[in-house]
Amino acid sequence: MIELLFSALVLASMYGLVAIGISLTWSSIGMLNLAQGFVFTAGGYGAYEFVQWMGKHQHIHTGNVLMVGVVLVGMLTAALAGLFVGLLAFLPLHDRVNFPVRGLIATLAISVIGTQLFIILFGPQNKPLPQLFGIKRFHIGTHGIAYGQLGTIVVAALVMGIVTFWMRTSRRGLQMRAMMMNPIGANMVGVSVRTTGMVTLAISGALSGLASVMLAQTFFVSPRSGVSPLTVGLIISLAGGLGSLPGTVAASVLLGLAEAATARYTKQSLVPFVQFGLVIAILAFRPRGLGGVLEDVRE
Amino acid sequence: MRDVSAGYGTMRVLHSLNFTVEAGERIGLVGLNGHGKTTMMSTIVGMTGWQDGSIIFLGNEIGGRRTHGTGRNTPKIVRSGIAIAPQGDAIFPGLSVAENLESGAYTQGAWRQRKKRRDAVLDIFPPLSDRLKQTAGTLSGGERRMVSVGRALMADAKLYLVDEPSLGLAPKISIALVAALCQIDLGDGAMVIAEQNLPLLSGRCDRILGMHAGELKEDVGEALGDLPPAAELS
Repeated sequence: MIELLFSALVLASMYGLVAIGISLTWSSIGMLNLAQGFVFTAGGYGAYEFVQWMGKHQHIHTGNVLMVGVVLVGMLTAALAGLFVGLLAFLPLHDRVNFPVRGLIATLAISVIGTQLFIILFGPQNKPLPQLFGIKRFHIGTHGIAYGQLGTIVVAALVMGIVTFWMRTSRRGLQMRAMMMNPIGANMVGVSVRTTGMVTLAISGALSGLASVMLAQTFFVSPRSGVSPLTVGLIISLAGGLGSLPGTVAASVLLGLAEAATARYTKQSLVPFVQFGLVIAILAFRPRGLGGVLEDVRE
Repeated sequence: MRDVSAGYGTMRVLHSLNFTVEAGERIGLVGLNGHGKTTMMSTIVGMTGWQDGSIIFLGNEIGGRRTHGTGRNTPKIVRSGIAIAPQGDAIFPGLSVAENLESGAYTQGAWRQRKKRRDAVLDIFPPLSDRLKQTAGTLSGGERRMVSVGRALMADAKLYLVDEPSLGLAPKISIALVAALCQIDLGDGAMVIAEQNLPLLSGRCDRILGMHAGELKEDVGEALGDLPPAAELS
């Protein structure tokens, strides 16, 4: 039971990080970013390349530096990838007609081309990342929990907490929330849609990069490793309520639990059925999602 | 403003406007619906479909010819010192009243003094004091208007544009609101209030300009100068 809970929370952390990024981007700049999977994968490869580079420079190599470095480089690479997506799909298109559709197509194109690019650059094989939190386990009663799992959960919760706090208190956070509510009003108080959009994409990217490095603790980095987090992230951001961080976190935990329980008690192949079924059920009863930031608002 | 024209698509709303706002001046802009008051304000902050002609603000050109990119320059213009309270409010419905006001103090200078500026705005609109934590989307129409105008006043601006402060409000509330606007100490800043209801403004502004079919009529205030201010009418 405890093992189930831990693997559910690991999934929830990873999905949550990706979904928050998608949700922020979608609600603030109105772009459904299908290239988030590309950004995710880019973070993983960034971290992988960093590990290779560190391997060649053994003398500066100590465990902790490596661990922090891998996470930071993964986040940085993904943030840059996010900015790259913004440069191609957001800045040239955002004030043209039909931006939502054009943006969707542009990000889809980046996603498809990006995957091919990763195959060309790194080959189709899986690449491993080092175990950041060691391979040891600790025990609760008779249940063995890997430190890697605990570490993933703690780091993800910490980062999500920081992002939530920052959104609530900082000037930039206020401007992002203002843009979600009313982009024209935000424009009129001096919030630049372009700058804010790029900042949002960079932050979303960094969160995905973190998730990517965390995922590589249990799986590997591969050209397609972003596909599944993208799909699940998308439906979580919808189920959580676009733009609502608490809602997104709640939805991630729910879907993480559903996935872990389904995989354990039935078959792994049933997971997508359960996930999508759950999200459809949530949206049928709460069309604005769990969090629904716009819930108590008169239009 | 010199030779300023503006419009949307093939429609030309403003026809070569020329006028100047001096520092410290409070100007009323009156005219019927659809004659270009809102468009003029939108033009100043670059939110029309296209525009042409020169707009000089504090010595800098903020106008010029533009055929696309609606609103792209707006943040820059706003940050250079023009605050706008648009028609229809454009408040942030899901944010609290306090956050809505704070978002108005977006420019670096104003952000640092946002507490002080907020207190000043609350002095002008006392009803908002009890509602700081309330979600702005749940306010009444009059309170929303106060939030919208208050948000503009939060900015450290040299020119305040207030578009139709009385629109859709009960007469009593709109009189109080306009009276409050006209009593604010502008210092060396200036204010332009667009309004359909001339008696609300007369006697309270330094100048009243008329707008008709996209052209300005200078100083209609004099012709109607004998009208008593609205507060006395009621």
